[in-house]
Amino acid sequence: MQALPLPRSLRPGFSLGGLIDGRGFDTLLVLTALGYLAVFSAWPLVYNLIMSLQEVDLFSLASFDRPFVGLDNYREVISAPEMPQILGNTAVFVIASVSLQLVLGFALALFFELRFPGASFLRGLFLAGWIMPPLVVGAIWSWILAGDFGVLNYALKSLGIIDENIFWLSDPARSLWSVIIANIWLGVPFNLILLSVGLAGIPEDLYEAAEMDGATRVQRFLTITLPLMRAQLGAVISLGTIFTLQQFDLFAGLTQGGPSNSSNVMQYWSWQLSFQEYQIGLGSVISVLMIGFVIGLAAIYVRSTRHEQVY
Amino acid sequence: MDRLKGNALMLAGILLAAIYLFPLYWMYVTALKSGTEIMAYPPSFWPEDPTPIFGEVWTRLQMASYLKNSVLIAGGTTVLVVLFGTGCAYAMSRVKSVWIDVALFAVLMMQVLPSSLMVTPIFVFFNQIGLMDWPRGAVILAQAAKMLPLYIVLTRAAFLQVPAELEEAALVDGNSRVGAFLTIMVPLARNGILVTGVLVFLQSFGEYVYARSMIGTRELQPATVGLQSFMGPNSSDWSGVMSYAAIYVTPVLAIFVLLQRRIVSGLTSGALK
Repeated sequence: MQALPLPRSLRPGFSLGGLIDGRGFDTLLVLTALGYLAVFSAWPLVYNLIMSLQEVDLFSLASFDRPFVGLDNYREVISAPEMPQILGNTAVFVIASVSLQLVLGFALALFFELRFPGASFLRGLFLAGWIMPPLVVGAIWSWILAGDFGVLNYALKSLGIIDENIFWLSDPARSLWSVIIANIWLGVPFNLILLSVGLAGIPEDLYEAAEMDGATRVQRFLTITLPLMRAQLGAVISLGTIFTLQQFDLFAGLTQGGPSNSSNVMQYWSWQLSFQEYQIGLGSVISVLMIGFVIGLAAIYVRSTRHEQVY
Repeated sequence: MDRLKGNALMLAGILLAAIYLFPLYWMYVTALKSGTEIMAYPPSFWPEDPTPIFGEVWTRLQMASYLKNSVLIAGGTTVLVVLFGTGCAYAMSRVKSVWIDVALFAVLMMQVLPSSLMVTPIFVFFNQIGLMDWPRGAVILAQAAKMLPLYIVLTRAAFLQVPAELEEAALVDGNSRVGAFLTIMVPLARNGILVTGVLVFLQSFGEYVYARSMIGTRELQPATVGLQSFMGPNSSDWSGVMSYAAIYVTPVLAIFVLLQRRIVSGLTSGALK
């Protein structure tokens, strides 16, 4: 896009009239939105950090003068007996969700790229899963996964994969996987659509040239599709990880982190500490650590896509 | 030959979509089944004796109140987000400077903050300034902060599609900046604004974390919180739960079907920028 002839650089020092009509108008618009975000997003972040260094419980909740306890909260969280299990669960939840969403989403994207009649309509149907309230998705899956009368157990038994009913939600060995299954269902549409956009951007003649040179389907996939999809795959993986770490509603709808923390993850634990055990100082410690992780990840992602951006 | 292949692929595509959408189908089928049919083995995949209990569930669970609150929260959030975000998205699409880059980076970072982690400081902060006396308003304010970055990013992409020359012509013709923005730019970007606004509405219509954490009174809770307390830890009234879910999400699915094409293109245009 060509450079604009109108002078609209954001230099400090504009007149009051400029706010309405000159370059100050842009500044005003941007600052209004940023002001809102500063009060309701940025300040809570700072406040979170402060609270993580304080003793905050039901009694000191409304007080502005809470005792500082240094890094005591951090020590308490890190040495908590459930910490290793929940941290491990979080890693399994993220890695399993993101990788399986990616594999399924990519396979579906490749399939719908075959351009048969109705392909784009059928692909669009998958987005229905993306638009659903996650808590309702949790409710539906908790019925599908139900031990006695759940339809998944019936399907697996009919196919001869299992002999005994699996109690997905109450068996500590499976509970985390029941949330992962539902989360994959939620995440597949997003992967499918983003990867389809990437696939559509690969020039057709590359494939034709390779085919003429005698490249097999697998070779074409490995030497053309994969390298050219690097940016999209990176985007899907980083955004998938970020969205997976935001997942809360499925845990509330399916297992509530149980039984005995077998399906608990950091973001749910933080909420439990704050809103069920009222140890708000501890809740904010986990919140600070996890938000730091998510922002770090997002920053890496945004920086890595910078050179591809067209402003 | 090619036609045969195309039809075979289409059949496979229909099968894949059917497998994927099965949970939604199962929700509706279960909602229509009687109590005994739900416990039947093997399960029936078509209700033998459809017994709709939507009306009964609607009144017994006072869904009118829950849904009213959901609409209120989603509507309030959408209004706030559109008011605060549209101008910002516009300015960010037109101005090129280091400061705008920095601001855009900050917005992108705020887009990824998980609600379940933000709710702790937001709750204490709102509690201290007395906002908890208006719990639904508190949820709207928090949810708008969650949705605003997404709205700015997607709407900015819509404004980028509008040729700058149109606005410049309007300015040369004597329009003020405000006038050109409101009468030229916003109408030209209205498709993007509308689709993104609908997305914000739908997402907020299904909001759970903030409402669960900040709204204690039953009369003020939205449908997600209502569904969760109805299910409880060991519910077995599955036809009731699925009827509730069906009533709740059918409007969402209807809007989705109507706007599907636009939603897809709106999302993909902004998703990678």
